[in-house]
Amino acid sequence: MTRPQDRYRRSFGDLSERALAFWLLVPAGLLLGFIALYPVIRLVYTSFFQYQLTLGPDATFNGLENYAAALRDARFWNALKNTSLIVLVTVPGALLVGLGLALLANLPFRVKWPVRLGLLLPWALPLVFVGLIFQWFFDSQYGVVNDLLARLGGERQFWLFKPDLAFWAICWTIIWKTSSFVALILLAGLQTIPKELYEAAEVDGASPFQRFWRVTLPLLTPAILVALIFRTITAFQTFDIPYAMTKGGPGNATETLAMYVRVTSIENLNFGYGSALAMLLFLISMVITMIYLRYVRGADE
Amino acid sequence: MKKLFWLSLAVLAASTAVAQQSTKLRIFVGGQQRPEIWRKILDVYEKRNPGVRVEVEVGGATSDQQQQYLTTVLASRDPSIDAILIDIIRPAQYAAAKWSDTLDKYLPAASRANLLKQYLPAYSKANVINGQLVALPSFADAQFLYYRKDLLEKYNLKPPTTWDEAIKQAQTILAGERNANLNGIGFMGNISEGTVCSFLLPIWASGGDVDDDSGKLVLTEGQARNSLQFWLDLMDKHKVSPPNMAEKAQDTIRQEMQQGRWVFGTLFAYAWNRFQNDADSQVKGKIGVVPLPRFEGGRSASCLGGWQWTISDFSRNKAQAYKLVRYLSSPEASKILAIDASNLPVFPSLYKDPDVLKANPWFADALPIVQNARSRPVHPRYPEVADVMRKALNAVLARTKTPDVAAKEVISGLQAIYGK
Repeated sequence: MTRPQDRYRRSFGDLSERALAFWLLVPAGLLLGFIALYPVIRLVYTSFFQYQLTLGPDATFNGLENYAAALRDARFWNALKNTSLIVLVTVPGALLVGLGLALLANLPFRVKWPVRLGLLLPWALPLVFVGLIFQWFFDSQYGVVNDLLARLGGERQFWLFKPDLAFWAICWTIIWKTSSFVALILLAGLQTIPKELYEAAEVDGASPFQRFWRVTLPLLTPAILVALIFRTITAFQTFDIPYAMTKGGPGNATETLAMYVRVTSIENLNFGYGSALAMLLFLISMVITMIYLRYVRGADE
Repeated sequence: MKKLFWLSLAVLAASTAVAQQSTKLRIFVGGQQRPEIWRKILDVYEKRNPGVRVEVEVGGATSDQQQQYLTTVLASRDPSIDAILIDIIRPAQYAAAKWSDTLDKYLPAASRANLLKQYLPAYSKANVINGQLVALPSFADAQFLYYRKDLLEKYNLKPPTTWDEAIKQAQTILAGERNANLNGIGFMGNISEGTVCSFLLPIWASGGDVDDDSGKLVLTEGQARNSLQFWLDLMDKHKVSPPNMAEKAQDTIRQEMQQGRWVFGTLFAYAWNRFQNDADSQVKGKIGVVPLPRFEGGRSASCLGGWQWTISDFSRNKAQAYKLVRYLSSPEASKILAIDASNLPVFPSLYKDPDVLKANPWFADALPIVQNARSRPVHPRYPEVADVMRKALNAVLARTKTPDVAAKEVISGLQAIYGK
């Protein structure tokens, strides 16, 4: 009779450390493969097919035709333009506001929880709730923004259906929502900076501005980079907030790439073309991440 | 101990035997479609068909939300749902994607013709795609012109039959009332399905249409431009609608009319019950319903809505599902829906049924409106057709595009879908 422990030893005990590591990683690898790798591979595969359910249930291979069609599609370029503008405005915006919030939260308040709660709340709200709440804020007839404007003697604006105003209303909402995420990461970064450095700087007679510029900012760079990577990628995928606030309107004036992917695949059932659009979005995210990562490595060396 | 073992084994065996005999079906309805009333109808069905159990799965509150979920279920060929209640704009799409089991295999040609004859013609027509019967009608819906009886009486006006009359009446009443919170003519203008109907109403009312019976695109740029211009003029020229119509969803208009803030509203049938029965309604007994106005020399036309039962092609119990769908689309079920949910019946005879009229006196006048309602373009790529039309009207109402430019885009967008 072999005891269970012996059997265990025979199967796992003889393994080298490397082999053991392999077997321990298999479940995580499989899980990742199923939920991340498989869909991506399927997406690439589908993007090479003419596959639109409203024309029939069959898919036919059409090579790069979907990609070529995307490059000819004015609505794709419009969505890409809107998405890029949102990235250009909301990423730096969220970084600046987030940095301010993090510095504020890092101050030695006696009671810390109100500031921290204020930091966490926007982050904890689901995106689409934020979109719906701000849709009400910006409503031209019932919204609090126009009410304030009118009380201050200004003129009521059509926030959600003038293209420029709608763009800024959306950006403002995204910055409000995402700066707390940036602030949380930066706050964690701030707390790793040793107090001694500030004390030494103070002894050397550095002004508060110099302390921030020479001590805080350089030591915070890794945290800023992490925040920037995450924020940029999620900004390229912007969907919920404009979807809830304007549905891409007026016309297609505020439609983002992710919204166009959804309409194409889920509403129009054009999975082939939708996959190609999603692949283009994926490629853009990859390129941005690679640029950031190269910069991080460069900074490390 | 031993006895208990044998006893439980026997119970287990018995229960599997029962389970084998019984069929479990699952149907899908939307959250706004009164699932509790469907449950009541299904209880009747289960009592008459021992061995059949029917579960109700409840989905999102709008047609779009329901279809988003159903798309993932059906595109992955999930067999868990047997029958689905679908919007009238969907049968063509379901037929093209082969999501629906065709009902013709259960119905010989003669009995199919006999069955379809009983329904309102628009509904039997909407559910036959390329000669195939895709779904069976459950309840009807249409757009009506709701008006403030009290205000029209105060100014000695009769309900309008043409749009010119409606505009003049709204102007008269607005000028007389001098109430900053009162508006003239309410219609849908945001990016939603209702705005597709808004776009189509003036086209129909002047005698045009988007496609003909053979499915050929017949809409002209001029007709599209006139429609867009018409709604824009209500705001800017005639001043009977406020300048923010690009924001207005159907239910926003309904809520505002319920607060007494509109003289006229173009809304679907559901609004009536809310006006009469909602606790916060300021307009109880003050609302009248008439057919939508026409243009001089045109015709009165309403936008046809309504819901149908289709059988999922991935169901594993199609024969049982067919039997169930026949019951769910029967006059008996239609009558329960009319009385308990105020859903318009799909059988003309039920509009004269005393029980139905007792619950909904206004149904007596609704039949001609439903009969004259026109269906939105029947096309497998309908979602794309709808997107072109609602985006155009929304952009015009937001004044980011002129009716000229938007009309050109409508025609080129539709040509790309229909193929020239």
